[in-house]
Amino acid sequence: MSDDNQVNITINDQPVTVPKGTLLVDAAKEVGVEIPVFCYHEKLGPFGCCRMCLVEVEKMPKLTTACTQTVMPDMVVRTESPKVVKAQQGVLEFTLLNHPLDCPVCDKGGECPLQDNTFKFGSGTTRMEFDRADNDKVTPLSPVITIDRERCIACQRCTRYSDIIEQEQALVMLNRGFKNEVHTFCDEPYATRYSGNVIDICPVGALTNTEFRFKARSWNLDNAETLCAHCGCNCNMTLGSRTNKLMRIQTRPNDLVDDGWICDKARFGYDFIESEDRLLEAGTVVGGARKKVNALDAAVQVADSLSKIVDEYGPESVGFLGSAYGTNEELYLYQKLFRSVLGTNNLDHKTYQDTPGLPIDHYDFLNVETANLVLLIGSDPAEELPILDLRIKKAVTRRGVKLAILNDQKTALDKFAELSSTYNVGADGAALSALANGLAEGGAGDESVTGISAEQMKSLVELIRSGKKVCVVYNPASLTGNSIHMLKHLLSVIGKIPDIECGAIPAAPSTNAVGAMDMGILPDFSPGGTPADKGLSAMEMIDKAESGELKALLMYRSNPVVDFPGGKRVEAALKNLNLLVVHDMMETETSQLAHIILPSNGPGYDEGTTTNIGGRVQYRRRGLNTKNLPDWKIVSKMINSLSEEPVEYITSFNVTEEISEKVPGYGEINKKSIRKEGKTREPVTSVNGSVPQVEKVNSADQGLKLRVATRLFTRDKILSTSSPLAHHFLPSTVNVHADDAAKLGFSEGDEAVLSANGAEVRAKVEISNRCNPGAVIVPMVADDQGVQGLAGGGSVSWVEVKKG
Amino acid sequence: MFTFTPEDEKQIEKIVGKYPVKRSALLPLLTLVQRRDGYISPEAMKAIGGKLELSPAYVQSVMSFYTMYHTHPTGKYIILFCHNISCQLNGADDLLAYTSKKLGIDVGGTTKDKKFTLHREECLAACSGGPMMRVNDVFHENLTTAKIDKILDSLA
Amino acid sequence: MKILFKNIDMPGLTSLSVYEGQGGYQSFKKAFAQKPEEIVEIVKASGLRGRGGAGFPAGLKWSFLAKDVFPRYLVCNADESEPGTCKDRELLEKNPHLLIEGMILTSYACQVGTAYIYYRGEFQHAADLMDKAIEEAYAKGYLGKNIMGSGMDLDLYTHLGAGAYICGEESALLNSLEGRRGEPRLKPPFPAVEGLYAKPTVVNNVETLSAVPWIISEGAEKYAAIGTEKSKGTKLVSVSGHVKKPGNYEIVLGMSTRELIYDLAGGIRDDNKLKAFIPGGSSTPMLPADKVDVGYDYESIQAAGSMLGSGALIVMDHTVNVVEATLRLSYFYMHESCGKCTPCREGTRWMWQILGKLQAGIGTNGHVDKLLDICDNMSFKCFCPLGDAAVGPVASSIKNFRSDYEELVKKLQGGAVSV
Ligand SMILES: Cc1cc2nc3c(=O)[nH]c(=O)nc-3n(C[C@H](O)[C@H](O)[C@H](O)COP(=O)(O)O)c2cc1C
Ligand code: SF4
Ligand code: FES
Repeated sequence: MSDDNQVNITINDQPVTVPKGTLLVDAAKEVGVEIPVFCYHEKLGPFGCCRMCLVEVEKMPKLTTACTQTVMPDMVVRTESPKVVKAQQGVLEFTLLNHPLDCPVCDKGGECPLQDNTFKFGSGTTRMEFDRADNDKVTPLSPVITIDRERCIACQRCTRYSDIIEQEQALVMLNRGFKNEVHTFCDEPYATRYSGNVIDICPVGALTNTEFRFKARSWNLDNAETLCAHCGCNCNMTLGSRTNKLMRIQTRPNDLVDDGWICDKARFGYDFIESEDRLLEAGTVVGGARKKVNALDAAVQVADSLSKIVDEYGPESVGFLGSAYGTNEELYLYQKLFRSVLGTNNLDHKTYQDTPGLPIDHYDFLNVETANLVLLIGSDPAEELPILDLRIKKAVTRRGVKLAILNDQKTALDKFAELSSTYNVGADGAALSALANGLAEGGAGDESVTGISAEQMKSLVELIRSGKKVCVVYNPASLTGNSIHMLKHLLSVIGKIPDIECGAIPAAPSTNAVGAMDMGILPDFSPGGTPADKGLSAMEMIDKAESGELKALLMYRSNPVVDFPGGKRVEAALKNLNLLVVHDMMETETSQLAHIILPSNGPGYDEGTTTNIGGRVQYRRRGLNTKNLPDWKIVSKMINSLSEEPVEYITSFNVTEEISEKVPGYGEINKKSIRKEGKTREPVTSVNGSVPQVEKVNSADQGLKLRVATRLFTRDKILSTSSPLAHHFLPSTVNVHADDAAKLGFSEGDEAVLSANGAEVRAKVEISNRCNPGAVIVPMVADDQGVQGLAGGGSVSWVEVKKG
Repeated sequence: MFTFTPEDEKQIEKIVGKYPVKRSALLPLLTLVQRRDGYISPEAMKAIGGKLELSPAYVQSVMSFYTMYHTHPTGKYIILFCHNISCQLNGADDLLAYTSKKLGIDVGGTTKDKKFTLHREECLAACSGGPMMRVNDVFHENLTTAKIDKILDSLA
Repeated sequence: MKILFKNIDMPGLTSLSVYEGQGGYQSFKKAFAQKPEEIVEIVKASGLRGRGGAGFPAGLKWSFLAKDVFPRYLVCNADESEPGTCKDRELLEKNPHLLIEGMILTSYACQVGTAYIYYRGEFQHAADLMDKAIEEAYAKGYLGKNIMGSGMDLDLYTHLGAGAYICGEESALLNSLEGRRGEPRLKPPFPAVEGLYAKPTVVNNVETLSAVPWIISEGAEKYAAIGTEKSKGTKLVSVSGHVKKPGNYEIVLGMSTRELIYDLAGGIRDDNKLKAFIPGGSSTPMLPADKVDVGYDYESIQAAGSMLGSGALIVMDHTVNVVEATLRLSYFYMHESCGKCTPCREGTRWMWQILGKLQAGIGTNGHVDKLLDICDNMSFKCFCPLGDAAVGPVASSIKNFRSDYEELVKKLQGGAVSV
């Protein structure tokens, strides 16, 4: 059999056939031959600087580096010839020449490629007799990373990472020759969103995790292969613990999801696990005081109280506010409790509108790289989904993919975009409709409404039309009012363009946003996108609580007092309820109002599946033990105390089994099928309703439209003031367009007061043209900033901006 | 505060116009600033990076690779004294020591009056005229102590 | 026989009018009457080899340009940083129009639209002169759009480095020209396929390009008739060190080195005895006096155990202890190693440390052997040829002058130095 794309070679007399373009170092692995490397890293590509991988190739005059040499037909390679062995020993000797021999106290000990290669390929002695170069020992590179320049072997993995993967060029080599050193600009902290990955890729102990230093030896750790629970990427990671204490988080490469990287929030943002603000005990509030109770008893009490209210006021009087932070199992069971057992459709997990299913394919992360065009709508991956951000940068810089952006704010990805159009805040529906019309029948919409010029719209239409494979990435959470329907309509229009392959990624930021939709935590759809009689949406539940029609609410890992638009109004509405149950892992502004409290285990302690924005279902393993009951046990207890058909789950996987039976799209999801890399669930059918009219943006007499922007590092329940990531926290700022700033008489750095709904937020003015005139952007920087209090909910919110 | 003068801006436009890719103008812009200010400050690195859409760290990284850039103020005249083989064979080491003593500074140092900075330099491509030194842009060859005296004393 | 240095000392030669008065810019008529490929063939037939160090046939290199890929670039290597070498500077400062003419011809042959001259940073003066010459050439229509009605467009620019020997290596040079650190690039791809801005690029030395006008005007056969069978034409040799008349000499390749030293350069200073010479610049192995009759051409010098390199003959008389000279060269390579690859970064420093010990008279024979072993561990194992260049002087000085090392070692054993 001959295949044009396969090449036959021999390595140490063993024949091997590999695809064209394979590097020798990778081909050798196929036949179990180890070629030692330092500078080579699969994701960074060939570089060839450390010279550790020298091999002998017949007919080549010199030894060649296996990490840069691709296979050629009939190549004969030797990796253990005397010439190679001498070279390897020589290179190792050079490498160790100025490297301290402090393995016993080095954090990398036990998992250090330098140590391993020296053991396997070195000569065992050193002939160096001079003082080693006196480079700096332990120095902070940032609050979370320590650099030991003395140990650096100048492999440039970290600096290439910062250049190629992050596209930041924040970490660089300074100087030259033996004086070269890894540095940031003028020794400012290395503080990108993904800086921690350099710890994992450093082949020596030069870059270490500041928190982890000297805490434990790598071989003494219990490692759990788990998932990150911070955003909708669901990156794979290893949680290392010792005596049930979390010691460190590391990457656990899964090319289908994270491409081998995790962001710093994943790696360092886990102090909530041991936070003082954790809810660890169930409790009931009697006469204003919280009384500790057994969790199962509390569960029974919740079930009884809910059922009593249903008996008295009907099923419409109770509701469930879940969150996209729960696992599929937990959410599924709650859905079952409320829909099947209590008989209500008042379920939701979000304050924006969204519908399950897509009129075109549901694309995964790999499609971002294989597309010709990525169309990013209303999404700010750097702040919302950092590892998607890396994937898009990879697509653009290394796969020749074009990027088009349609957003109401400028983002960090703009500089990678072929075209970036900014629509007016609140004009998302109009802009999406205009684009759909432009694609279907020409036309550019009304610039005075959308804020996008006819010319720009035309270029965007052309760009989409000429993309052979288009991947749309949109953030439903950024859309106002009913614009999600315009978006879905746009998707189906793109789907109908002849000769275009296309798909979309619904890129809501929250961890399990897709899973929450799939599990039917929606007022109008039961699991798997099956239409259901319409119950109350989250915001409607708040309204009805306010009016007294809704009597009881169960909040699962949700904190509406801070996170929902409305602020004080939300708080008052919740106080109005006969019964407020809060099931959460943290004490929150909302849990303070609860009548019954249930502790939730949350990431680290919990287990179950989550579905990422690419539709991939993966298993989040437990990394730490707790005496507390798993959440799913608490929910099953509630179900069992009310239902004729008791459920009996022994592990969370029994719930997964039920999901696989009952939820359309999840038929193939089971313990085995998701074990390694997870498995994509079958797409949920999309219900194509009619496209509603674009909502008219009500104009206020004065003031500016408000856009609240998501930030990755926010001072909230997850990242507290004592977080090692606190250096990323920002003061409250408001981005004002230069035109508006001129009108309002603001200059850069002025103090502003934003007010609406009786709420006030103070912020520093940044004149940035981040959005079109007539609006301001306020990044959500902290819970106590209270910015959601300004928002009205529904479509567009207006704020008054004054000098402070 | 670092700023480019209107004259600089004109120069920059001309320099950037020489290349299809902006980044190529990095060394020329660093040189432009250094010829104006005598050295390149962190603010200047940021400003140059801003012009060429390069991170300040990148600018610093490139800059630090090349020996002709200075990060601190230097003397009005920069003396690069070659000590490489052809000059060495003809007595460069002694002449460098002589110059150093004459100026009263160590190699690498700057005179108190900020007039001279003295560097030991690798081969400057004047080998058949060695010993030699470069004072700012001018090469001086076939040096002797007398010639060095004459050159240095003639500089205002 | 003078080709490059024919009028080199003529006053005012840097101006276009004087240059033209000497027959400058006359080659275009002949060149533009032929197809670009034909010019490549002529240069191939002339046998002109690269004068920057490697001696690679120029025409052959041009024919390796990736087919039908445009734009293409021509870059003139005016980095001239190899110790001992100072011939390009003389050409640049005294006859800039010759290079411009050569670059126009080469651009025509290689279908290049933009060309750069990369100067080492210290050549500010030469670059300023060149900028003036380029301006004149534009004004005269030799550069710019539709040159002399040939339909060919060419823009020519100067670009200065900022102090780094490694930027003479062509791929490091391209990185530097692109505004990067001057670290060498992985090869392949070679510049002819992916060079400047990842486009097909020709890199040639100043002297190489300056020889092209004569070849075009006078014909390939005439050039090929000069020199030896494989080393054709004339070569500029920078003679430095212990000679009476150091300087740049244009010689016909194949002339004996003795003639070069004793006739052209006037012999050894003070009529001392010749001890050693480095024939082709600091990277090339040094040879002992008994090799002085070697023909100064690529093949003969190679047969004698060294290389012609960039044509820089460094002469040492009997007063020299070779270890001292080697120590200085070793310092140079340590200083100039870019630091990208391990053997070069670490090895150059280690060798310098050991040589320092030996020079100070506190080394042992073991150190000398260790040096040889380090040389072996570096040779052909570094990322770029700078590593090998660093090995050259050390290995050759031990091979040819081990007695100089032993003399220093004996100092220790004789108790002259206490450790
Ligand atoms: C370390 C090193 C330094 C070099 N320095 C120079 C130089 O200063 N000038 C030069 O023309 N070539 C130099 N070269 C050779 C160039 O890489 C390249 O071969 C040459 O410019 C090609 O031009 P040519 O074929 O006309 O000689 C150097 C090579 C190495 C490895
Ligand atoms: S710090 Fe580590 S990753 Fe970076 S160059 Fe040094 S050894 Fe390589
Ligand atoms: S792994 Fe091949 S040179 Fe570093």
